[in-house]
Amino acid sequence: MSVSAIDELRVAFEEPFWELGRDAERDHKTILMSWPSVPVELVRAAGFLPVFARSRSTPTPAADRVLEPELFPNRLRQLIEAALTNRLAAVAAVVLPRSSDPDYKCFLYLRELARRGSVANLPPIVLFDLLHADHPDARAYNAERARDLFARLANLAGRQNRADDVRDTIATGNRARAAARRVHALRSNPPRITGVDALPVLGAFWQVEHERYAALADRVADTLAPRMPLAQRRVLVAGVPVDAPTLHATIEAEGAVVVAELSPFGGCGTSTDIAIAVDPFAALADHYGRESVDARLPVHALMDKLDAMLSAVQAVVLSQPRDDASFGWDYPRVRKLLARRSIPHAVLDGDPAFGATAADGERIRALLASAPAPSEVRCG
Amino acid sequence: MAEKQLQSTLAAAAFQKQWFGDLRRRVFDERHPYALIQADVPFELFDLLEIPAISNQWWSSLVAAKRQAPAFLAAMEADGIPDQLCRYCSLGLATTRYAKAGEAPWGGLPVPRLLCARLTCDCIHRVFSLWAEEFGAELFEIEHPAASELPPRWWELTRHRWRELIEPHRLEFVAATLEHLIERLEAISDRRLDRARLRERLTRVNRQEEIFDSTRKLIASAPATPVRMTEQIANVMATQWVRGTDWAVAHAQHFHDEVRARVDAGIAACNGERLRLMWVGAGLWHDTDFYSAFEDSHGAVFVWSMYLAFGPDAYIRYGLDDPLAALASRTASFNEFLHNPPWAAEWTVAQALEHRIDAALVLHPKSMKPSATGRIFIERALEEAGIPVLAVEADVVDARAWDPVTARKTVASFLDQRVLQ
Repeated sequence: MSVSAIDELRVAFEEPFWELGRDAERDHKTILMSWPSVPVELVRAAGFLPVFARSRSTPTPAADRVLEPELFPNRLRQLIEAALTNRLAAVAAVVLPRSSDPDYKCFLYLRELARRGSVANLPPIVLFDLLHADHPDARAYNAERARDLFARLANLAGRQNRADDVRDTIATGNRARAAARRVHALRSNPPRITGVDALPVLGAFWQVEHERYAALADRVADTLAPRMPLAQRRVLVAGVPVDAPTLHATIEAEGAVVVAELSPFGGCGTSTDIAIAVDPFAALADHYGRESVDARLPVHALMDKLDAMLSAVQAVVLSQPRDDASFGWDYPRVRKLLARRSIPHAVLDGDPAFGATAADGERIRALLASAPAPSEVRCG
Repeated sequence: MAEKQLQSTLAAAAFQKQWFGDLRRRVFDERHPYALIQADVPFELFDLLEIPAISNQWWSSLVAAKRQAPAFLAAMEADGIPDQLCRYCSLGLATTRYAKAGEAPWGGLPVPRLLCARLTCDCIHRVFSLWAEEFGAELFEIEHPAASELPPRWWELTRHRWRELIEPHRLEFVAATLEHLIERLEAISDRRLDRARLRERLTRVNRQEEIFDSTRKLIASAPATPVRMTEQIANVMATQWVRGTDWAVAHAQHFHDEVRARVDAGIAACNGERLRLMWVGAGLWHDTDFYSAFEDSHGAVFVWSMYLAFGPDAYIRYGLDDPLAALASRTASFNEFLHNPPWAAEWTVAQALEHRIDAALVLHPKSMKPSATGRIFIERALEEAGIPVLAVEADVVDARAWDPVTARKTVASFLDQRVLQ
């Protein structure tokens, strides 16, 4: 039963973006987003299905003609490729958060490609401008942006713009978050699931209807709990947040287990609930402004999240692909923190969508050789 | 190095050196607070509260011009910071964090009282956080709400219709942020900002930029370019960093009058001008001779860069009833005009046509990611307007991967094969 729950969640995590363009009726109900810094609760409350653009090693020839090299991450190249090959024609809207410069530029490029007539049949292209500053003005700004986004989505859906619907969706989402946290807790002390399996299970939170997600994730947790722990070196994947388990597969092929990742698609995305507040838009905006792991999250908030994850790990892999413009600046701080905690690390510079390069593979092997042996584990 | 043809260029250089010398004296000897800020931060507020401000980009260009950037950048890489990250905005940080790696101009930056940056690119928060930590100084960040409505011909709105150009929620947010900045600056300086003086200052900024506009038109319409692009930049940069001051307005006028006199006398920067070039992007600060390298061989003169042209179109704000709102409208979308589609491409083509440009060289700064975006749209728009484009891959402050001989050969070949044909 749990195997099928894992499989269902894996498919729900992996497939929706690649299915776009095949079923117009489903696409009409879909909002495509580039990163989970958009409150998915607003999308659901408006009656839409949220789908996220994802990275993959699939070539992007059309996108490569309009995107400068080494500036856009793979997931955005895939999104532009989908737009230029008419796969987004029936989608209700594309919402791009201001979670990084490339995401914002992707918004601008899509609008410009449409203006210049370079791409036909594009759905509405919408920006969600979330600021991360911890300041009342920024929080008020974010709340208004959330309110505005919901009004636009509700209008697109032809529905009433009702705050009660948003509150209900937050409550359902919180139940799904709690189930995700149950699964994530089984990844450490000791781990009972590989990272390759865990990331899709956790990442599916963003795309699966939340009641269904809660039921499936609870089933996964129930089945994992009595499993034999994995007596392997425990690794954290940090640096540029990953959106796929390809790096996990490489690390785990070397006999380690990825127990956490600094990514909204992993445990970070569901680590806390959203307040059920009188103003649900302010509550959502506060939550996403504080919790969204992206290139504009203030460095001290990011370091706090990283610090909190280190107690469960014996080695850290930092992904720093060439398109990164932000996370690499954290390296001096990260190195200092890891030295203080006596945790070895390796820095990889390949694009994780393509798996590890030969050099990165060598770095992973060297890291695992230097990491402490896995501690003794108790049978669960 | 090409000889300076204008007295105003020499005066601008002397002013800058004197200004920095005065700053160091005030900071070291008199313990006067100063601020280290990004180029797109509203300097006027600092100046009116008597907190002198140094621009990060100006400092970087000085370090690069003195050929010190490679040593500092190598030290940064040796510290594990990936080499693909932005060099222009971080070179200053490197001169502080790795001070022993090279020789920073004039003994290096003293400790500022405050650092201030507008969070445009993703890296700015990171770079300035590290820098502030290194100095043990306070950092004030100006959050950057993003534009979602981008009128293509933005420069037709900036002067009189700026409330239409900037979406109301963004304008309100940036104005509120500037109010908070003023509170911090007032606390540091123990002075109160006089709003009437701010209005006067912005009026003088308008005047300075109107003079630059007139100078731009002289250059655009003269039969041959009267002043080299490098001298345009030297005069504009020295002036913009202290914009709206008496010296700045007077210097802008001095520069204008010299250009006017050269136009009236029929004096060209390059005798035998045959081709008019534009440079799209930040300046190659480590190899400014590049810009006069094609005069003798091809009669090719760089006529245009953004530095002179941008001021009149981006800074002027009429209707200063609420001077802070006007200042916020400038701050809200400042350098985005130079990079983001559709703004950058539309403006660059309009400028190229006004300046009768024959060919454009477009900088591909791989390590300045946000500046590198949008260039495909710029290049296509120029080509569609009939202006051949050559992409120049370079870093504006990091000379390590720059081969000046090959670069000159590539440009010469481009001019021979695509422009003179």
